[in-house]
Amino acid sequence: MPQYIANRLLLTLPVLFGILLISFILTHISGDPTDLILPPDATESARKSFREQHGLDRPLWVQFGSFSWHALQGDFGESLRFGVSAISLVTERMAATTELAVAAMVLAIGIGIPAGVVAAYWRNTVVDVVVRAMTLVGQAIPSFYLGIVSIVVFAVMLGWLPTGGRGTWAQLLLPAATLSLHIVALITRVTRSCMLDVLGQDYIRTARAKGLGESVVVRRHALRNAFIPVLTIIGLQVGLLMGGVIVTETVFSWPGVGRLAIQAIYARDFPVVQAVVFLFAMIFVIVNLLVDLLYAALDPRIGYK
Amino acid sequence: MKPTLCKLLLTVLVAMGIAGPATAARVTIAQSLDPQSLWPNATTSADTYNAGTPIVESLFWLDASDNQIKPLLALSYTQDSPNQITIKLRPNVKFTNGEPMNADAVIFSYNVVTDPKQTPAYTRYFEGFSKITKIDNLTVQVDTSYPLPPMGLTLSLFFVVPPKYWTEVGGAVAFGRKPIGTGPFTFHSWVRDAQVVLKRNDAYWGKLPENIDELVFKSVPDFGARVAGAITGEVDIAKQVPISSVADLRKRVNLKVLEVNAFTVVHLILSSLEQHKSPLQDKRVRHAINFAIDKQGIIDGLFLGNARRLNGQLLRPTQPGYDPNIVDYPYDPKKAKQLLTEAGYPNGFQVPFKVPVGSIQQGQEVAEAVAGMLGAIGITAKIQLLEAGEYLRQLRARELGPMAISGNQPPDDSHFMMSQYHSTWRYSYINDAELDKLIDEGKVEMDPKKRDAIYRKISALIYEQAPVGFINGGVDHYAVNAKLKNFHPRGDGRYFFYNVSLDK
Repeated sequence: MPQYIANRLLLTLPVLFGILLISFILTHISGDPTDLILPPDATESARKSFREQHGLDRPLWVQFGSFSWHALQGDFGESLRFGVSAISLVTERMAATTELAVAAMVLAIGIGIPAGVVAAYWRNTVVDVVVRAMTLVGQAIPSFYLGIVSIVVFAVMLGWLPTGGRGTWAQLLLPAATLSLHIVALITRVTRSCMLDVLGQDYIRTARAKGLGESVVVRRHALRNAFIPVLTIIGLQVGLLMGGVIVTETVFSWPGVGRLAIQAIYARDFPVVQAVVFLFAMIFVIVNLLVDLLYAALDPRIGYK
Repeated sequence: MKPTLCKLLLTVLVAMGIAGPATAARVTIAQSLDPQSLWPNATTSADTYNAGTPIVESLFWLDASDNQIKPLLALSYTQDSPNQITIKLRPNVKFTNGEPMNADAVIFSYNVVTDPKQTPAYTRYFEGFSKITKIDNLTVQVDTSYPLPPMGLTLSLFFVVPPKYWTEVGGAVAFGRKPIGTGPFTFHSWVRDAQVVLKRNDAYWGKLPENIDELVFKSVPDFGARVAGAITGEVDIAKQVPISSVADLRKRVNLKVLEVNAFTVVHLILSSLEQHKSPLQDKRVRHAINFAIDKQGIIDGLFLGNARRLNGQLLRPTQPGYDPNIVDYPYDPKKAKQLLTEAGYPNGFQVPFKVPVGSIQQGQEVAEAVAGMLGAIGITAKIQLLEAGEYLRQLRARELGPMAISGNQPPDDSHFMMSQYHSTWRYSYINDAELDKLIDEGKVEMDPKKRDAIYRKISALIYEQAPVGFINGGVDHYAVNAKLKNFHPRGDGRYFFYNVSLDK
């Protein structure tokens, strides 16, 4: 197992280097940030000194070399807009984003798995139809729309929750629910289809024939076997979650990395965009490694050598 | 969010009629962006400026209630000669860390604001400054390399910082994160992308805003959320509320909607430069385009009446050079068609039409409407959408020609608006010797009457030469707690809290 983990971690190095390269190229082909950061009527000397100050006057390959060298040491340079370390801007907002993402994931798993199990167990009943209809709606509603509708309903009409911001549980509820909706729908659908598959297996009939109670059959024999694909989906959703925070944080004024990222993209604040992309990619890689390791815990037949 | 969706949601808001009072001594402002810095000279962004100016003060300020430049840290300035002024400073003013605000602090700040490395965003304002001399502890003399008519405006952008503290913290970036000033409020806390909290400065040298203990600047990027916050009473000032929600907000008793003539001038760039070979080089074609645009139709249809007619000129009625005798090109497609025929294009022509994405209010919709109107007289305007940064690059490289839409917002002086049409200006799309001569004269003319006359001539010439297609002037809307008094935002999105009060 330790050997496996070490190998996997080593494999992430080329992945991360690729991400550095791609994020560097993509940000730099968007154009010169001086146009967006200084006002259009700034004098030539101001523009020149801005470029020099941030090394934008150097050849691109020199910029990439210096960027990669520093990035490998955890230094993504200074934000062009704020003049402070880009990585510090990201890390100081990471707690807010993590809080939101974890809350959304807890909601998604907490609702999605039971809903999928229930729909599969009582398939083709009213319950199943309702759950399927809800998942369809959940996957179809864009999160910016859902966000603003939920503000109108719960903050303006009912007055139960604040319109946005961070600090209290009440402020967490709406953005977490909005962010989780797509994932709830997906987890529900995958759980349902995997459960349907498993519930038709011979070993389930055997378990029932042994006289086990239905809840034991479902939890221990069906769900545990159905869980591996669901776990894979959950792991992959971390990527969706990282994309989702951009919209959700904007609608709910949540002070997280997503909002920082979108502002940085608009302003061509290269160092910040690169730091965010790198960090999100790292999280994605690590979560997927954890998911792989969890397989072994769930299914004793899987072993890593 | 699309306008139709917004309208629908806001109808729901109105139907509910829910409103809540604001906290008594706290004024919460919802703006779209978190400040980049709390040092007002850091960027020209209004959201940065507004959160910093209650802490760090300038020599003068521009009061939007009567459009007058008024003293702040300076008592007055006198024009000793066309190239020299003497500034008298206010006595007995201290920064909140105890440092004195005096000639030394002003000279230190002068060296900061005139240095393009430290203050790149404001170089255009201060580029005429050449020297500062200390006369006594409360008097300084500033020399300029040429006469600067908009001196009051320039000095209102000159913010004074405490030299010792600035040096101790290591300059602009650190100062902007935790500023010390002389203003009516002091910095208290800042949670990035969430809120900046300022507390009342009880030792303030002047009159404090009445019944306001705290200012809280929240960054709320979604305009629907800003409107919702104003309705629920979570915010007292919601900036940039969408036009589609204005009518509904006006019906609410706890709110008032402030309508401000924005400095934004939405117009077409019609290039007559040699490098942009097109039928637009013919003045008659540029006139035809102006006759073909139904400005009132655009204002009524796309802005629900909430926009300003330009009256055939780029300056606003409050600026020197605005001429009430100039009126819009009337909407007259027949005349437009006739002019096109005279110019040799009876069957029209095709022209690329560059449009930025997202940087002009309703910009794409206006461009589509204009393209449709031009289509009616036979001009096929092929819209090319450009990302905001690419648009700015092309603007500065003079690559937007022959035709583009622009929604620029130059600083509030006739010179800053008109100098953009000087042939040497980086993004001028006209080369006219007479225009150049007048702009040069206006730049250094100190006599207000003569200056007004020069800019009137420029306005008339621009109307006649038509390097622009006139469309509309912007109007900004603010949803404000009805209890907040004397709050007067400016047309560039900037505002102050001097004389503001909050009813109990």
